[in-house]
Amino acid sequence: MQQAIPYKSLPLPCIDATSHRARSTTTLGHNGRGKDVLNIVSENAVIVLARKGCCMSHVVRRLLLTLGVNPAVHEIDEENEAGILNELGTICKGTENNKMVQLPAVFIGGRLFGGLDKVMATHISGDLISVLKDAGALWL
Amino acid sequence: MPFSNLPLLVYIYQIWEEEGIEAIETWNVGEQQELEGDEESKLSIALDINSTCAKVAFFIISKSMNSPTPQFVPSRLGIYEPIHQIGIWGENFKSNGNPNTSTSVIVEVDNKLENESETTSHEMLTASKNYEQEASKPIDKIQRRLAQNREAARKSRLRKKAYVQQLENSRLKLIQLEQELQRARQQGLYMGGVLEGSHIGFSGTVNSGIAAFEMEYGRWVDVQHRQICELRTALNAHISDIELRILVESGIGHYFELFRMKSTVAKADVFYVISGVWKTSAERFFSWIGGFRPSELLKVLVPQLDPLTEQQILEVCNLKQSCQQAEDALSQGMEKLQETVSSTVAGGPVDEVSYIPQVATAMEKLEALVSFVNQADHLRQETLQQMSRILTTCQAARGLLALGEYFHRLRALSTLWATRPPEPSLP
Repeated sequence: MQQAIPYKSLPLPCIDATSHRARSTTTLGHNGRGKDVLNIVSENAVIVLARKGCCMSHVVRRLLLTLGVNPAVHEIDEENEAGILNELGTICKGTENNKMVQLPAVFIGGRLFGGLDKVMATHISGDLISVLKDAGALWL
Repeated sequence: MPFSNLPLLVYIYQIWEEEGIEAIETWNVGEQQELEGDEESKLSIALDINSTCAKVAFFIISKSMNSPTPQFVPSRLGIYEPIHQIGIWGENFKSNGNPNTSTSVIVEVDNKLENESETTSHEMLTASKNYEQEASKPIDKIQRRLAQNREAARKSRLRKKAYVQQLENSRLKLIQLEQELQRARQQGLYMGGVLEGSHIGFSGTVNSGIAAFEMEYGRWVDVQHRQICELRTALNAHISDIELRILVESGIGHYFELFRMKSTVAKADVFYVISGVWKTSAERFFSWIGGFRPSELLKVLVPQLDPLTEQQILEVCNLKQSCQQAEDALSQGMEKLQETVSSTVAGGPVDEVSYIPQVATAMEKLEALVSFVNQADHLRQETLQQMSRILTTCQAARGLLALGEYFHRLRALSTLWATRPPEPSLP
């Protein structure tokens, strides 16, 4: 009798290459250094930076999930918060946002997109899907 | 007298006529004597002087018009007489071309009428008598009655104003007291006696924030009602698109104003906003994170907007879906917050007396409620804006009317419900 091939050993085709990298809804991990955070931001099509246990980041995540996007979530500890925000602030000066980066912060395509406000507004106006597609976070 | 003084004189004359007795007291500068006797005679004496002053004013006005021919001046005195008859008094006062002394001339005349020498006053009285003989006696009675009415009305208005002011103050005090009472009850239940001292000061500011919001919201509802009526009239009158646009803009702006007000009071007491006590009971029934559901809004609006183009139907459909998704995300966030707070409050050993750490942590987490209220209002705002982008001006006006009318009816429902007859108690 042939043994059934265990499910795990079969290599499954990756439908969504980028979100595959951040498949789990658990955090990527705590990382204090700003440089590492920047690396993570650029590596992911969609990533949410949030404080630990923030309910607003939960809202963002749920919204993106309903659109078919599984965003990575990176939690920031309180003590590292100021340093990381500073780093991000200097990097993001080039974009439209002149204000300090507020948490939770959403990065799409490696660039700062905005907070929950911006996500909601863009979603209501119907532009969010195209933004996500452009960044390669959505394929259909 | 220069012609340009005419408006001033006419105005002065009108004030005299309207203010009746008051005018006499104001204009008789330097006049110290009190009028003796009861109100009635006081009135009649003053009236005579008043009518005389009025006639003097006529004269001055006619002089300023620089017309040699006799003028017929209609007046509330009911006297239609050629002015030249009044010219008898010409010698009693000087007319000068100086505009600045025009008022003083009138005052001067008043004083002269009272204080002048026997001859002039006698002449005056004779002239006055002559004049009054010309005019019918009943006119004096009418005059008297009119002045009495005016005076009574004025006093009544002042009394009403004072009363309303008192009511407003009492109402504010009552609201503050109620809030304090509620707060004291809540605080007494879970804070023990530890933090009582500190919270009294805080609750003072909170109460004033809430009291201020209540007053502002009352006004907001009144303005809302007015705007709805204006929209209805405008749509029935088929006014131009440009004018309609103005109404639409102010209507939408009015909702944004409410969101701003809510944001301010949420910082003072977020539970107040979320509980919806500031709304009527029927509105509260539909409440979602301190206000109406955006998807609900669309359900109310869309049927009123027919006919819609195909493009519009598509866009509205998309908006409905986006709205629902955003609402669901926020609702799930709220659920997560509830779980977090609940587990925090329930955490820690129960056999220990002090629960302050758990409660303090829970307080920190509850700060997130303010963000939820703000995000919910932001969603409402964005939905309204997107609708105004999709619709034509006329459709937007109809939509605003429908929405305003809907809330108005909900409020009426609440009132009706509150005053419905009590159900008969079963034996």
